[in-house]
Amino acid sequence: MLAASGLVAQNIAFGIVALIMIVGALRVVTTKNVVHAALWLVLVLAGAAAQYLILSAEFVAITQVLVYIGAVTVLFLFGTMLTRAQLGRATDLNNKNWALGIPVALLLLGTLVYVLIDSFHAEKLVDDPKDVPNVTTQQISDSIFRPYLVPFWALSFVLLAALIGAIVLARKD
Amino acid sequence: MHLLLSPMQQTDKLISPSVNWGSLTPLLVLLGAGLVLLVGAALSARGWAKGLYATLTAAAAVAAGVLQFVLWNSTVHHGPKSLVGEALVVDGPSLFIGISICAALLLAALVTDDYLRREDIDSPEVYGLYLMAALGGLVMAASNDLIVLFLGLEVLSIALYVLAASHRKRIESQEAGLKYFILGGFSSAFFLYGVALVYGATGTTRLRGPESIKTALALTVETDKHRALLVVGVALLLVGLAFKVAAVPFHSWTPDVYQGAPTPVTGFMASAAKAAAFGALLRSVVLSMPELRDDWRPAIWVLAILTLVIGSTLAVVQTNVKRMLAYSSISHAGFILVGIEAAAHGGESGDRGIASVLFYVLTYAVLVSGTFAVSTLVGRSGDGAHGLDSYRGLGRQRPVLALALAVFLLAQAGVPLTSGFVAKFSVITAAADASSYAIAIIAMLAAVIGAFLYLRIIVSMFLEDGDAEGERVSIPFGTGAAIGISVAFTLVVGFFPGWLLELARDAATRLY
Repeated sequence: MLAASGLVAQNIAFGIVALIMIVGALRVVTTKNVVHAALWLVLVLAGAAAQYLILSAEFVAITQVLVYIGAVTVLFLFGTMLTRAQLGRATDLNNKNWALGIPVALLLLGTLVYVLIDSFHAEKLVDDPKDVPNVTTQQISDSIFRPYLVPFWALSFVLLAALIGAIVLARKD
Repeated sequence: MHLLLSPMQQTDKLISPSVNWGSLTPLLVLLGAGLVLLVGAALSARGWAKGLYATLTAAAAVAAGVLQFVLWNSTVHHGPKSLVGEALVVDGPSLFIGISICAALLLAALVTDDYLRREDIDSPEVYGLYLMAALGGLVMAASNDLIVLFLGLEVLSIALYVLAASHRKRIESQEAGLKYFILGGFSSAFFLYGVALVYGATGTTRLRGPESIKTALALTVETDKHRALLVVGVALLLVGLAFKVAAVPFHSWTPDVYQGAPTPVTGFMASAAKAAAFGALLRSVVLSMPELRDDWRPAIWVLAILTLVIGSTLAVVQTNVKRMLAYSSISHAGFILVGIEAAAHGGESGDRGIASVLFYVLTYAVLVSGTFAVSTLVGRSGDGAHGLDSYRGLGRQRPVLALALAVFLLAQAGVPLTSGFVAKFSVITAAADASSYAIAIIAMLAAVIGAFLYLRIIVSMFLEDGDAEGERVSIPFGTGAAIGISVAFTLVVGFFPGWLLELARDAATRLY
């Protein structure tokens, strides 16, 4: 499907990283230790960053590492430690209705896989690496401050709301 | 130094989109009030005088509402317009929904002031969160871009998660906040995935205007190739929004969260969040994807019928009044979905559908705010007395309060000469105009089943004897004013609905 000659190495790299991500994602939900789950999540997120690099989107990859691995996961770990949650193995992490979720999850997975293949099965990567569209960091910044200026503002409102929320929940009376 | 300068020199090519500040003023007022409130409260050592926070919030709500009326006038004369590179629009539906949200904010601020005093909570941040939530709602209703819509949704949702958990002495409130947060985060993820798929199919997140989803759908050549992708994307968008409006089968959070959250917050959630989410549903799906309507209209149809039937029937078996009102708000969402289904037909009957949705959203926002204001008072200190027996004998103890609640409940049931009747009548006639007879008949049946619930509370208030030991319900000024405004609005619109119906019809036809 993606067998353009110049890109074979990238396809192989994609496959390996994707496999690691799938294993990591499965371990996130099956491990009995909350801290381990957070660490497996690091693997999944790092895999996503690696995929962005393979797609030569280095800015997005670095952002992914900074935000998700650097901030979000560390926050998870701090949160787990500071709230005096159980750090070792826990047996009651599963909801008793977990089996009900499986058919729903499979149905959703099937639908999404189907529509993605249905839409993009005919798309091919270009043969010559020179023809690959080069999206630079400058283009990303241009689009943030031009057509996506309002979303950029609105994002600061999201952060503001979250900040006020943290004050409300954390303040001592 | 050279390295540092070179990217800066390139930026002089950057052309920012022109910002129409005048049309943004309602948003700026809410944002400014929120910031002033937080910074002012943080800087003053002993806090402001009690009531000042609520006064500022209420004033901001009134100012934002008035500014939207001014914008409405300019829309009538100069037509609707888009702002900031077409990311936001000022048109009939966005202003109408925006005014509904400001009304809900005003009523919530009035009620919350007394509530916080009674519960002895000193928390100016709560008002900051109200203002942020209203800001998010306004952005949602006015967005012309799925990303902007999503961010508005997140501002609204994050503020509401925390508001639900803001009564820190009650464990139920914490539980409600956590439940709402986890399920809400999940639904936001669905919505975002839907945005991604729609973008994948159309190559844009803009809703209307040049190079938008609407124009992409009109040129079917490209989108036909990605039809399955597009349909599943729209389905995921609907899941995210249906969660926010509490439509069945995405309603299961509603009773627990409505019951656990502080009662004034519940009122705000039922009014402002619902108004914003219906505004977003109108804007993102109904108005922007008319070409796809054969695919998504059946989904709305099923949602509407499930919501009507399950909301009305499950309301009957509850014994906690806040839970009853939660199920009743689910069934009201069903009625609004009936209007959305009519709007989905497009053309003249579609316009009538949009008008009926706008009318319903505004009248319901006022109605439900008033109902929960009464329920806040009956909850007494501790906010725990919400069983049906807490309402027993209220008619003798507090006749005026009981009468006000009776007005609200009769209006929610759809009794003539109240705003609720006109609202129900207009969605059902819109459905009948659009030849959706099945859904119109089911809506009427649901209204009859739902009436039983409201009558049960009324009977309990007036015909059953109350227990004399219960703490006497006190009526502070702010809450009293909120209830008075709501009753007046409900009755005035009930007796003279013409002007508001006219406004809603105008709003529905003045589209960007």
